[in-house]
Amino acid sequence: MKLLVVDDSNMVRSRIARIVQGGALGAVTLVGMARDGAEALRAARQASPDLVTMDLTMPEMDGLACIPALLAAHPRTRILVISALDDKSTAIRALRLGAHGFLPKPFTDEALQLALHGLVQHKA
Amino acid sequence: MESLKESELRLFIDSVRRYFEVTSRVPVEITSAYLGMGALHGHEFNGIVTFSGPLTGQVTVSLPMRAVCELLLIQRETKLTEANLLDAVGEIANTLAGNARRHLGSEVDISVPTTVRGPRIDTRQACRHPYVITFRWNTYPGLVCVDLAPTG
Repeated sequence: MKLLVVDDSNMVRSRIARIVQGGALGAVTLVGMARDGAEALRAARQASPDLVTMDLTMPEMDGLACIPALLAAHPRTRILVISALDDKSTAIRALRLGAHGFLPKPFTDEALQLALHGLVQHKA
Repeated sequence: MESLKESELRLFIDSVRRYFEVTSRVPVEITSAYLGMGALHGHEFNGIVTFSGPLTGQVTVSLPMRAVCELLLIQRETKLTEANLLDAVGEIANTLAGNARRHLGSEVDISVPTTVRGPRIDTRQACRHPYVITFRWNTYPGLVCVDLAPTG
């Protein structure tokens, strides 16, 4: 399964990439990284990802604006929101916009693997 | 402007503890918490998040270079460039502010982080006496300056 990582922090993008490339999620392959919503839409057009990890607070186009736009073009893509905005109303808003999961920051490697594993299973 | 209540500011202490403990599994020791007066001397790498809406002001996270390097190495990031160090301290500020917003209210808006290299922290944007939290993580000092006040 193809994964696109969207976050404005290079530290977070690289960390997610290392966790995925470490092999704990065997079927998942990293196909791209983007630093904001607009870049994510361009990357998704090229790579047609099955899974996306999506930050919310980003410049240009934020995650809440990107989720419906991305799903309109790629309705079968599953989105895991990873955000420090961990209040209940933000999580519910993201899920109502079509996200499939929510992982609050800060997160452990194990929590990310578990969350992505859940999305992979659901997709399969 | 009136400053925040102490109970609300404790949110940031909890956020600091949580961030480092979850990310590094190394506990944080809070070394002091006080009301700042005058110019504040921080550390070399600073991440700043601006608040708007019902709260106005900014939250600054300040760490020495060695602390940021250590945090990146723990996350297996070996490219310790200035850009990556600034990015890391900005992401920490973003996470602390985002987590604190859970209790401050979702109508509070927080900006994407900006970053600055240099020890001088620009305080007193919102209130006369910003709240300063100093801590020690993995032998390194750190500082969070909460300069927020109710809008209006």
